[in-house]
Amino acid sequence: MLEAREVMVFYENMLALNNISITCPDNGVIGVFGANSAGKSTLMYALSGIILDIQHKEKMRGGERITLFGQVLQDGEDITDLKAHLRARRGLVLCPERRRLFPESSVAENLAIGGHLATKSQAKETTEFVMEMFPALKALRSRAAGFLSGGEQQMVAIGRALMAQPTMLLLDEPLLGLAPSIQHIVVESIPQIRKERGISVIVTEQYARPVIPYVDYAYIMENGSTVMEGTREELLDNPDIKAAYFGC
Amino acid sequence: MHLDILVYGFIQSCALLLMAFGFSLVYGVSRLPNFAHGALYVLTGFVAWALFKQAGLPYPLAAGLSILISGLLGVAIYYVVLRRVRGMEVSEVIATYAIGLAVLEGLRYAGFRGGSYSLPALSDGVVFIFDVPVDHQRVWLVALGLFMVVAIWLFTRYTRVGRSLKGMAQDERAAMMLGIDSDRTAALAVGLGSMMAGIAALIIFPLGSLVVEEGYKVLIYAIAVCVVGGLGSWPGTVVASFVLGYSQYITVSYGKPHYQMVVMLLAIIVTLVIRPSGFFGKQKQLEERV
Repeated sequence: MLEAREVMVFYENMLALNNISITCPDNGVIGVFGANSAGKSTLMYALSGIILDIQHKEKMRGGERITLFGQVLQDGEDITDLKAHLRARRGLVLCPERRRLFPESSVAENLAIGGHLATKSQAKETTEFVMEMFPALKALRSRAAGFLSGGEQQMVAIGRALMAQPTMLLLDEPLLGLAPSIQHIVVESIPQIRKERGISVIVTEQYARPVIPYVDYAYIMENGSTVMEGTREELLDNPDIKAAYFGC
Repeated sequence: MHLDILVYGFIQSCALLLMAFGFSLVYGVSRLPNFAHGALYVLTGFVAWALFKQAGLPYPLAAGLSILISGLLGVAIYYVVLRRVRGMEVSEVIATYAIGLAVLEGLRYAGFRGGSYSLPALSDGVVFIFDVPVDHQRVWLVALGLFMVVAIWLFTRYTRVGRSLKGMAQDERAAMMLGIDSDRTAALAVGLGSMMAGIAALIIFPLGSLVVEEGYKVLIYAIAVCVVGGLGSWPGTVVASFVLGYSQYITVSYGKPHYQMVVMLLAIIVTLVIRPSGFFGKQKQLEERV
């Protein structure tokens, strides 16, 4: 179980996350929805520990001062000060916004690099799972990731994150810039990952409609704060939320 | 075409490759321009000389130990200095250049001046390649240069650590998200780069004498190769080594020896003016697509 307790992030004097508390149970799928600048990616950085690296680098180069408050707990253990690579070793893996693939490496090599933490048999078995989940990648194994389409890149990004053997997958805006037909393939992978791998998922999106059928519980963010939370049904029953985020 | 240009141009290219590959590896993985590269090259030569001539160790042992010391020194430089300034380009250049300067001037201050120091060749004798006489040491140089390229290619393709280096080289933060320790990988790259500088020194120094000033020359050569090939691009380093190696040899054949440095400096200037990303500036375009 992953829990964020009263997390606050300041970029200089700008409050990017305001007292955010979210919980993702084991084998759960949690949605975090909000418009641009709502704080979704900052929340993902805080959960994955990437924010510590950004904070350190900004501090060293005398750049933006980043201040963090609150706690991040994994299975009750405080991991607030744990670096990103150590959180990944504990199964907390981020699939970042805009994919951030290794552009010069082939699809197969991206997956292989993703399997840094996996044993040989785990890497083999996970690669097979990824290829089964995204058959389009089979023919693209040796293609440089930088030359793939946005949808193909997203499939590789999810596959690469799965290679790291997560127990909790953080998907930051996986549908960004994808055509509806590709969105469907990517979204369909969420229940498959949950069901077949037993992995919990926290997924952020601006537009919730494609994702909402697959989440158990969701948070709505605005300007760094959670303005509403509830089960899928509760949110769908709210006409304002429905109109603003679900487009129906 | 004269056959000696073909043969000795190839040898010169392999020498450049040996000098530059460590610099390229470090920059490629950690984006750190290690301006202490030339100093580590010279230091390894003097450490090997001291262990062999002063301490009386057998040469293979002295050579092995000096390469190991160079690698450990690289790791120490990363953890003590570079880790703190990573990401600050100007500070990285100043810090590494200062370390290099301190090492080279320290050696000079310690009395290592003039051309009276030398390292032994791996083997003596001459072979004929296309009827051109080539001494054994230069054959070793070519073999080692080519071996190093193949070894690094295999290492980054087929080993877990090598793949983590390749991942870091392309996107440090994405690599961290997958559990790769950024500091450890960068330290490993600096250590490996320093060892490569050391290996290059032990294979190239026996062709002449061991002089401190070589450190500055090697640094400029390494920078020229990496700028022309595309900073951080390993294939670019290989191609640029051959282009500049042949350019140098042809220039020397028809001009004067000191034009070697002019070729390298001109190559840097022309590349920065015409195509700042070098031969293999592909990575930037790919990054933009991603």
